Amino acid sequence: MVARSGESRAARAEGRVVARFNAPRAARVEANANGRPLEVNHRAVALVREEWRVVDRWWTEEPVVRDYFELVLESGENTVVFHDGASGGWYTQRGA
Amino acid sequence: MIACLTIPGLELKAALRRTPTLALRPAALAPEPQGEPLLGPVTAAAEEAGVEPGMRLGEALATCPSLALVEPDAAAAERAWEEILHALEDAGFSVDPASLGVAYFETRGVERLYGGLEPALRRALGAIGTEWDARIGAAGRRFAALAAASVARPGQVVVVADEELPQFLAPLPLTLLPLERGRYEELEALGVRKLGQLAGLPGGAVAERLGPDGRRAWGLARGGTAARVRGRRPPATVFAALEFPEAVGNELTLRRTLAGLVDTALARPERRDRFVRKVALAARLESGGSWRRTLTLREPSGDADRIRVALSPRLAELPSPVVELRLELVELTEPTGHQLELLAAGAEDRARLKDGLRQVRASTGSGSVCTVVEVAPWSRVPESRALLVPKDE
Repeated sequence: MVARSGESRAARAEGRVVARFNAPRAARVEANANGRPLEVNHRAVALVREEWRVVDRWWTEEPVVRDYFELVLESGENTVVFHDGASGGWYTQRGA
Repeated sequence: MIACLTIPGLELKAALRRTPTLALRPAALAPEPQGEPLLGPVTAAAEEAGVEPGMRLGEALATCPSLALVEPDAAAAERAWEEILHALEDAGFSVDPASLGVAYFETRGVERLYGGLEPALRRALGAIGTEWDARIGAAGRRFAALAAASVARPGQVVVVADEELPQFLAPLPLTLLPLERGRYEELEALGVRKLGQLAGLPGGAVAERLGPDGRRAWGLARGGTAARVRGRRPPATVFAALEFPEAVGNELTLRRTLAGLVDTALARPERRDRFVRKVALAARLESGGSWRRTLTLREPSGDADRIRVALSPRLAELPSPVVELRLELVELTEPTGHQLELLAAGAEDRARLKDGLRQVRASTGSGSVCTVVEVAPWSRVPESRALLVPKDE
């Protein structure tokens, strides 16, 4: 895998670990009244294949509460987004 | 303006098409075979006799001993809903179906065509016909349109202007909001029974008490956000069906039939080399009802074996012998939408890859080529499962 230049600079500065694999990326998601995505980064959602909730690390000070959606976009591309219960933001993520 | 079309009790009305005389008698949609014994929608006569939708079967029969139970006919309901959506699309409305019996559409594009908002909405009702007791609400926002449709009578159009919205929503019940049952009870215990009461509370306090769902409900009680309505792409109508001379319950026979239907449907010229994204398997049951399951494939496919393998387990869910099996290719996608692997398994040329990586490393410096190291593959949080570690050798 080829890392981006910014990440390799960070690697040199911080040691051997570059980054977490499949780290979430902030996304612009337009959702309907039920919280189901209609648009991801200005691309329309064709259908919601699956949705699930991940609740983890509730015993720590940084609990994880995420509503995941596996989507098919109008372009035919598959993508996974989640709504973060803590920050209220939307993110795309691979490997979910 | 956004318009919302609602047809309460569509499943019952579709099932009653087979026995129209029951429509005037106390009747209710029977509970699903494997589900809780709760009634579906009920007729007006049943409501007059004290039976309510969602009532327990035993309680309903005790309240109204003459209550007739109508077998659910999921395939008929889906077909009827599709006919209704087609009728609207034929009249020029680009619809966005939210669920069975609820659809949204924008009126902006057709207002000039039909001579204004109300004539356009009347045209929509006319396209559907009087059989379904459809009603339409229109407002500047989706939730407000749904609320307007919920207070409209059959065949009526209710339009809510933006400036009237807070007063219009205030006396409506909380049940319009997409909340879990426990949440309504929690709000009622706090003395909040109407949308206006919820909208009057501070948003931060609602979020703190009820979490993100509550915050969203609070936003809706204040009218909701101005989201656009996107019309659906009309579904494909490629299907294959087989009627049996007598009812069949044997799984082997059904599997063979399914294999034949998949081959037939994929060979239809209407498919035109497109891949299948979503399929539906429907059956007409010996008992008179019907059964239907839809399945979205993980990746669009035109491979008969893959579709057959994905659908076969559904046959085990059939509640009784079938007299007709039908396969529908509900959504098709262009071949360009098919995502392929970057490197086909087994075709990886390791020497060339190594050489390529060496060149990347030479041009971008140490740390630019990484390897994935699993650290907690069992984690439910995807980014905790693996790290990217520089691969310098």
